[in-house]
Amino acid sequence: MNVTLRVWKQPAPNQPGRFESYPAKDIPAEASFLEMLDIVNNQLESEGKEPIAFDSDCREGICGTCGIVIDGRPHGPGKAITTCQLYMRAFNEGDTITLEPWRAKAFPVLKDLVVDRAAFDRVIQAGGYISINTGNACDANALPVAKLDSDRAMDAAACIGCGACVAACKNASAMLFVSAKVSHLALLPQGQPERRTRVVAMIEQMDKEGFGNCTNESECEAECPKEISVANIARLNREFLLAKLLT
Amino acid sequence: MTPSSILKKTVMALTGLALVGFLIAHLSGNFLLFKGDKAFNAYAEFLEHQGGLLIAAEVGLLAVFLLHIYSAIRVTLENKAARPVPYETKQSGGTSTFGSRTMMISGAIILLFVILHVKMFKFTDHEHVDGELWGLVMQAFANPVIALAYMAAMVVLGLHLSHGFSSAFQTLGLTKPGWAKCYKKAGLVVGWLIAFGFFTMPLYGLVVKPKPGAKEHAPAKTIKHDENDDDASVFRPVLTEKGTVSWS
Ligand code: HEM
Ligand code: FES
Repeated sequence: MNVTLRVWKQPAPNQPGRFESYPAKDIPAEASFLEMLDIVNNQLESEGKEPIAFDSDCREGICGTCGIVIDGRPHGPGKAITTCQLYMRAFNEGDTITLEPWRAKAFPVLKDLVVDRAAFDRVIQAGGYISINTGNACDANALPVAKLDSDRAMDAAACIGCGACVAACKNASAMLFVSAKVSHLALLPQGQPERRTRVVAMIEQMDKEGFGNCTNESECEAECPKEISVANIARLNREFLLAKLLT
Repeated sequence: MTPSSILKKTVMALTGLALVGFLIAHLSGNFLLFKGDKAFNAYAEFLEHQGGLLIAAEVGLLAVFLLHIYSAIRVTLENKAARPVPYETKQSGGTSTFGSRTMMISGAIILLFVILHVKMFKFTDHEHVDGELWGLVMQAFANPVIALAYMAAMVVLGLHLSHGFSSAFQTLGLTKPGWAKCYKKAGLVVGWLIAFGFFTMPLYGLVVKPKPGAKEHAPAKTIKHDENDDDASVFRPVLTEKGTVSWS
């Protein structure tokens, strides 16, 4: 199939960028979106032109590295998928497809479609961990966890930190990401000792990074490739307010 | 130290819910408009007689209102700053609503409305109006421009509350995972119901154009018809030279 790409091209951070058009010719419909970009880039390189810069790693929806706003939707059309799980059959012959990077003050563009998501790492560093002396792994059943809690913790832990929630939010808020990280630890026994300090430290860091404030519109949930629920945001608010009141 | 994002949102949610609480009280009192001038004016007089208590409540309400507006403006400005370069093609994933996307605009219209509303009904002398405060209100609503503007403002209020009411509970962490499907719908219904309650009043004034005293003479079911009653037709609005309406 043949499509036209309109791609945000920006040579470096803090430099002006603009949209450029690229033809994508003879793309197999079974190619993934990133494979299509590989084909286009090979062509560009063979012509001695600068390829389109984009991020990817696992290409199977588990690492959270890829991420492009495709026709106005983070990770493109389709539900519960990452950009690497999007296939060209989702488009029609002759389509013009617009590619933009995640847009947020906290995620500066490094080049073209690649943004710097180190802000997420710093939020995790602020408290998204448990402090334990590692030794042998303990017996799986030594620490009982209620089924509902373990399910909810697992659902929250499915977050791969791709940043689509920030990209989707009209306020560029990181609340869904932070809420997933806070929730999965707050729901499990291992997370209890640092429960109160963790949530306060992570929110402090989140604010410092320049993410916006949540206005509860759930656009993040709609675009999350792991379908993380905004119920986690309610839990985050609760955890934060209780931590502030009780400590 | 700047307050955290969640704290700012908590202030907005608490003040928003306090304002909703006020609206519900205001609405239930205002339903006396339908009972006629005597009942409504007695209620207004009762409130005025509370003296210091009423003033304290008004000052508190003003403080809550200003706090809500202050945090709304702050949060909105921060949210704009969080995305300095806009998208060219961004589309909604389908979960936000027109109301949720326009909270600052609907809020600003409500602010404008509240200023005009307070000036019109609280700081306008009603002592010499036939039907007193009730008469002042009904006289205003008999004017189609005023009545329609009020109705439009109530639609804007409905929009604001259609998102704001449920949003406040989420902000305060008072929603549960199991409520995901229903709490937004419940908030939408409650928000629009409150706005509809107020909407009926200018509508009543405009369509029915009730006259002072008419209701009080209305026969109770068990009492025989009182002939004075039919003379309601003697009440006719007359435009005075000053441009106000008087009842002859
Ligand atoms: C000058 C007037 C007002 C302005 C500028 C304003 C503005 C705002 C804004 C920008 C929000 C945040 C939107 C969001 O969280 O998505 C908000 C939320 C809210 N507003 Fe207002 N508003 C005003 C008046 C009112 C009034 C009169 C009420 C109540 C009757 C009200 C009730 C609420 C509620 C319940 C929320 C939800 C708080 C939350 O999301 O946590 N607002 N308002
Ligand atoms: S490349 Fe790993 S999730 Fe897409």
